[in-house]
Amino acid sequence: MAGIYLHIPFCKHKCTYCDFTSFPDRLSFAEAYMACLYKEIELRGEQLGSYTFDTVYFGGGTPSVIDPTYIYGAVKQIKRRLRLSKNPEITIEMNPGTVSEKKIAVYKRAGVNRFSVGLQTAIDSQLENLGRIHNVRDYLYCASLLKGENFSADVMLGLKGQSKEDVRKTIEIAAESGAKHISMYALTPEDGTPIYTDYLNGELPDGDEVARLYDYGRTLLKEKGFSRYEVSNFAKKGFESKHNLNYWKRGEYIGFGVSASSFMCGKRFTNTFDLDEYMKCVLSGFLPVIESEDVKEQDAKFEFVMLAMRTVYGVNAEEYRKAFGSDWKEDFRDAYRKTSRYLEEENGATRIKDEYLYVQNQILAEYMN
Amino acid sequence: MAQPDKHLRNFCIIAHIDHGKSTIADRIMELTGQVSQRDMEEQLLDSMDIERERGITIKLTPVRMFYTADDGNEYVFNLIDTPGHVDFTYEVSRSLAACEGALLVVDASQGIEAQTLANVYLALENDLEIVPVINKIDLPSARVDEVKKEIEEVIGLDAENCPCVSAKEGTNIRDILEAVVKCVPPPKGDTEAPLRALIFDSYYDNYKGVILFVRIKDGSVTVGDKIRTFLSDKTYDVTEVGVFAPRLQPKGRLSAGEVGYIAASIKSIQDVAVGDTVTGAERPAPAPLPGYKKVQPVVFCGIYPLDGSKFSDLRDAIMKLQLNDAALIFEPDNSVALGFGFRCGFLGLLHMEIIQERIEREFNLDIITTAPSVSYLVHKTDGTELYVDNPSHLPAPSDVEFMEEPIVKAEVYSPPDYLGAIMDLCQDKRGVFKDMTYLDAHRVKLEYRLPLNEIVYDFFDELKSRTKGYASFDYELCGYERSKLVKLDILLNGEVCDALSTIVHEDRAYQRGRTLAENLKDAIPRQLFEIPIQAAVGGKVIARETVKAVRKDVLAKCYGGDITRKKKLLEKQKEGKKRMRQVGSVEVPSEVFMEILKTNKDKR
Repeated sequence: MAGIYLHIPFCKHKCTYCDFTSFPDRLSFAEAYMACLYKEIELRGEQLGSYTFDTVYFGGGTPSVIDPTYIYGAVKQIKRRLRLSKNPEITIEMNPGTVSEKKIAVYKRAGVNRFSVGLQTAIDSQLENLGRIHNVRDYLYCASLLKGENFSADVMLGLKGQSKEDVRKTIEIAAESGAKHISMYALTPEDGTPIYTDYLNGELPDGDEVARLYDYGRTLLKEKGFSRYEVSNFAKKGFESKHNLNYWKRGEYIGFGVSASSFMCGKRFTNTFDLDEYMKCVLSGFLPVIESEDVKEQDAKFEFVMLAMRTVYGVNAEEYRKAFGSDWKEDFRDAYRKTSRYLEEENGATRIKDEYLYVQNQILAEYMN
Repeated sequence: MAQPDKHLRNFCIIAHIDHGKSTIADRIMELTGQVSQRDMEEQLLDSMDIERERGITIKLTPVRMFYTADDGNEYVFNLIDTPGHVDFTYEVSRSLAACEGALLVVDASQGIEAQTLANVYLALENDLEIVPVINKIDLPSARVDEVKKEIEEVIGLDAENCPCVSAKEGTNIRDILEAVVKCVPPPKGDTEAPLRALIFDSYYDNYKGVILFVRIKDGSVTVGDKIRTFLSDKTYDVTEVGVFAPRLQPKGRLSAGEVGYIAASIKSIQDVAVGDTVTGAERPAPAPLPGYKKVQPVVFCGIYPLDGSKFSDLRDAIMKLQLNDAALIFEPDNSVALGFGFRCGFLGLLHMEIIQERIEREFNLDIITTAPSVSYLVHKTDGTELYVDNPSHLPAPSDVEFMEEPIVKAEVYSPPDYLGAIMDLCQDKRGVFKDMTYLDAHRVKLEYRLPLNEIVYDFFDELKSRTKGYASFDYELCGYERSKLVKLDILLNGEVCDALSTIVHEDRAYQRGRTLAENLKDAIPRQLFEIPIQAAVGGKVIARETVKAVRKDVLAKCYGGDITRKKKLLEKQKEGKKRMRQVGSVEVPSEVFMEILKTNKDKR
């Protein structure tokens, strides 16, 4: 199993919490940028000839902000230069403020079969506070266009002034709008983003409050038929994101575009974060990689556990043995002994007990060597 | 019998802290051309960073100089600079034993102070010739004649013709040197008798082994000689002898009367004790020189390596420090919470601080120190007595008849404005008022009897903050008194944390327990389970706080681009865990053991 990630670094307006690589004022670069993206795929093409990719993911930024034909072109380029499996999962992230019937039609023609829509919250005043360009009506319109499709809604916790009631309303709207998958993220105030000021001034709910909202949301989602399969991800049966599961299984993935990360052949590497440098580099026929790390075996083992423990499937002893030829409980004997009371076993896999999934860093830190 | 060189003068300088001792030493060195003006660093003899930063002398430092006197002869001077603070009296007494004379430096504006007297008596006990020197005559508030009178009245020394100088401005420094020539007698001894050299200091050099600072009393020592000490039966070949210039300067031979150093590839630190006598291995002297009185430590604390695996490094560091700090005592200790470390005894709080700082700086070790404690005299019900300085060694309450605690006589000097604040503080600290003297219109001396255990807690910080730093403070031990003392335990998740136990006065227990529990609550990070923190006396809980279980500690998103970053975050978290100590099931940050005991929220 291997995935492809494509980064579209454009948006209409930068959200107040966003610390991803995106350039709200450079939409006019889209054409040139996409040409570079195609070129990068071409540059990688020969190297990756032996791979079959099962998922494609357009992330951002806001992939839906650019002309949909670029998305169409990108998929076509992938098919031309790389090998995709028979029924690949192809996802695109969308901002409800940027969609149209036509766009969605083009995506579908391109082969996109999964949509990830950023609802964030069903309270308009909170959306405004986040610097989002859409309101709840926009979302409902978007959802109506996606009726019957496999789409996911992103919702956020820990917003300024957010109550349990707000969370309930948001989840209800997401569920009733037909989403098959809901990602429920706690807002992470990153230094350098406008919302960090709110955080510094104590205007955002604290960790305990976020945990309460999360527990509430989790219960509600369960009632509505969404099961948690990862810390922040909930899905109706069979609608889990294959692309994301691949990350947590420590599968390989190749990233294209500015700031995109990859994990191939035991190496983790990252493209430049600088848009101009990215384009210059690719146009000169070079790969725009700025950082590369050989993951050592001990580190790889830790990654395996760290990532698997995020999911409700946990660490599968057999899969671990297949990957490393050793017994994971032996490899992490002390940590396992220290943390076993927070873990549970099922079908040869070990996972963090439900009630501790949200405090897992405390457990995972023990596994770090 | 051959006399030592009669042009030799061995002397030291004694003075109250801040009366200008080190500056005078600097001027003397300049005048004798020992150090050129250009090479002159301020306070040359205070070579430790800590000494320069704090403006105090901690270690004695010897230096050799040449001086052509008014009588036309050239004299060799050995000057030994000594610390002024009460905690370092033992250093003073060691240098006194190496000298025939002492300059007594008195500040022309402040006159004689308690510490001056203490050192004068020490010098007199050692049969030293005392030369009074009045310093800081440049100050507008200088009262030279009054101070002269004080010296004559209080100490009984003739001060009429004593040198009156300004070390700061370099005025009349030559008078001091002339006085040394005239008043300090040349050393006695027999240069041909078997070698007897008093070790008055030592330190460890990575290349040369232990360097012995010695005063040769009889005989001589030359490179190639075989030597031994009286306390150890090992013999060593002398590889180098020399004098202090003030850096070590090799010289072929040291003879009776001289002050210098001996290096003999002594690798084992344990084989050398300050106060011991060096003699020749082939022609040993029949008896050692009288050594020093063993000093009794007053303040104790546990010192542990922050990183448990650094225990042997810590042992090394403490042993090397002891080599030139005979007053530092230590024994291995084992704490459930902190692992292996040492229980150390110090002459006072400053001494303790300096040692802690030197371990960290000179040996680059991170350490955890437990709350300072004093030595309590425990009378057991079976009629036996014992001294206990480690709270976890206190016998069970049922076995204790009663306890006594050390009491000090404390002198606080302050402008009169702060009298009320100081008296309140002393009252709070169970002090008993003794006396109050107006030294002049701007300075009052307050005398109190105070339990030492109140002083080691936070007295000094409180005094400074309540008097805006104006008050100064000195104390000396004056005995033991019966007192109602109890052991205050801290339980974390139901288990006693030995490193946090303290012995406190019964009346203090509740308040102290509550403060400790509150401080700990803030300092212990939230963990996967709820942690009750209890303060208990004799099994009875007197205060309780709770560290709530952590509810959210998770990386919200972990996709392709996040993995490396998240690993780093977890690594940091793991690093944090490494700095923690496991107390039962609870992880306690190492810093807690120190910070918790330093900060006192009682009043806030």
